[in-house]
Amino acid sequence: MPHIKPILAALKRHKAGTILIALQIALTLAIVCNALFIIQQRVTRLSRPTGMDESNLVAIQNRWVGVTDAAAAGVLTRADVLALRQMPGVQDAVQVNAFPLRGGGWSTGVRVDVDGKKPIAHTTQYFMDEHALATMGVKLIAGRNFRADEVVTTDPDKIQTSPQAIVSKALADKLYPDGSALGKPIYLGDDRTPSTVIGVVERLQVPWGAAWTDDFAENSVILPVQLTGNFSTYLIRAKPGQQAELVKAAPAMLTKLNRLRVITGDRGVRTFEVVREQAYKSDRGLAILMGVICLILLAITAAGIVGLTSFWVGQRRKQIGVRRALGATKHDILSYFLTENLMIGIAGVVIGALMAVGLNLWMVTQFEMARLSMAYVAAGVIALLLLGQAAVLAPAMRAAKVPPVEATRSV
Amino acid sequence: MLKMTHLAKVYRTEVVETYALRDFNIDVKEGEFVAVTGPSGSGKTTFLTIAGLLETFSGGQYHLDGIEVSQLNDNARSKIRNEKIGFIFQAFNLIPDLNVFDNVEVPLRYRGMKAAERKQRIMDALERVGLASRAKHYPAELSGGQQQRVAIARALAGSPRLLLADEPTGNLDTQMARGVMELLEEIHREGATIVMVTHDPELAARAQRNVHIIDGQVVDLAEDPRFHHAVHEARTGTPA
Repeated sequence: MPHIKPILAALKRHKAGTILIALQIALTLAIVCNALFIIQQRVTRLSRPTGMDESNLVAIQNRWVGVTDAAAAGVLTRADVLALRQMPGVQDAVQVNAFPLRGGGWSTGVRVDVDGKKPIAHTTQYFMDEHALATMGVKLIAGRNFRADEVVTTDPDKIQTSPQAIVSKALADKLYPDGSALGKPIYLGDDRTPSTVIGVVERLQVPWGAAWTDDFAENSVILPVQLTGNFSTYLIRAKPGQQAELVKAAPAMLTKLNRLRVITGDRGVRTFEVVREQAYKSDRGLAILMGVICLILLAITAAGIVGLTSFWVGQRRKQIGVRRALGATKHDILSYFLTENLMIGIAGVVIGALMAVGLNLWMVTQFEMARLSMAYVAAGVIALLLLGQAAVLAPAMRAAKVPPVEATRSV
Repeated sequence: MLKMTHLAKVYRTEVVETYALRDFNIDVKEGEFVAVTGPSGSGKTTFLTIAGLLETFSGGQYHLDGIEVSQLNDNARSKIRNEKIGFIFQAFNLIPDLNVFDNVEVPLRYRGMKAAERKQRIMDALERVGLASRAKHYPAELSGGQQQRVAIARALAGSPRLLLADEPTGNLDTQMARGVMELLEEIHREGATIVMVTHDPELAARAQRNVHIIDGQVVDLAEDPRFHHAVHEARTGTPA
């Protein structure tokens, strides 16, 4: 076992280098812990399932040209949907106001009590017909689907309360925690007329992937409404293996059906894979950037340790020779430098752990970030101590190779 | 105690072999105080580094306290250095980051000695060299003579069988050198075996026995013309 007291005594005589490396370790720990925590949150968000059969879905955004009457646009949209459903390779299709990860949609508060002043939860509203569940591939876990006769076609400005609603399980559990949402009323926005929950789907994500939706990421209501208007969005579920073909065939068919439209290049026709990629582009970018920053910081810290230890080994070459002459084995010399680094590392990670928590608390208050899990601090502490030991190993081994005869050489 | 027979030390490069010691024979008995003298480059320091197991040798035999050391591995050599040998270097070789107490403690720690015993031995050794009151001082706060006394205390603390001193007064003024030499004589009178390498004929004369090395060999001065040449060269500055 190496001797801590003389190592501490020696470190006290080399305060500047010791404090600088300890601070570097501390700063690295504080930043890396928080960065990894943010990365983990982003990765969790990136991999959050929408609840849909994503691998077979295609989304098309269409704009009618020269059609000024909303009702006429509604007729054309209906014709599109019917034609899409007839296409070979299509399992089902539906006109939607929004879909998960689209980036834009409707949201509102929900109450269960008509006189309730404050919404119990926040939710997104999807307006779709009875083909919604089959098209999206979401799993109905309670109740029933809409019937065709329950679907209302309306102008967005004249929407009325739907008597029926299908809700996601997350929302159902939030509104009725005892699991009894089916058949119960919900009040959307300022409505005083209830919608009755006729079905519950296992999972359906909101149209946004950003952090501000984390509190209601899976709170969704589907209402049996078809909106008319100049813009129409279609969600098409391909039969297995037909998605790639549909990406080309569906817009071609629609254009052939009616040329009074624009389907833009970039967001006009997208597989869901593309939708997901575009929705999380900034999250992925941030995660990669933070990952790179972490790696650079760790590399700089490791290089600092290697540099300082190499300098100390060079500076103490004679001293190492004297220790060897006085009976130190190679292992004694190796463990001297490893222990010395461990002691600096421990000082660094203790300060760093406090800084990591402090930095996180600051970000919690300034940017509404989540509280840093102590597991990250613990993992960071272990990782940095191991990094320190790995970094010091090469110079420490060089030190161990200093021969005892070095003691007799004049510098 | 220390017996070298036909010992050789060769430094090899790609083009040349240099014999630092050749057919080197010496036998130091227990309790002897031997001064090793010789001109610069004669092999005195090489002898001392091999005697102290700081370096390996190329041929011959070396018995230290009855142990043939040529086949020992690095750890075993470290153990012998730690337990059987006390070093006194010309440049003192104290560790500047450690105070006097911690410096004397260094070899004892490598021996794995208990703290209480270490403390006792350190204080005894410092008392012995008259520096117990300076235990908390750092080497830079001491005079050269005091530093060498600390180095002697460090060598004595482990109760070695053999003390090896390399020009122990070489870096000291006359007065300090005299003090250090008197200390070594005192230690010898108490039974220690001391081998001291020195340039100084006056110091060598105070040892019990003198061994002279010229060109890597122990010589009988009376019969070796090389000694007379060396003396001539030392006196006149010109080769004989």
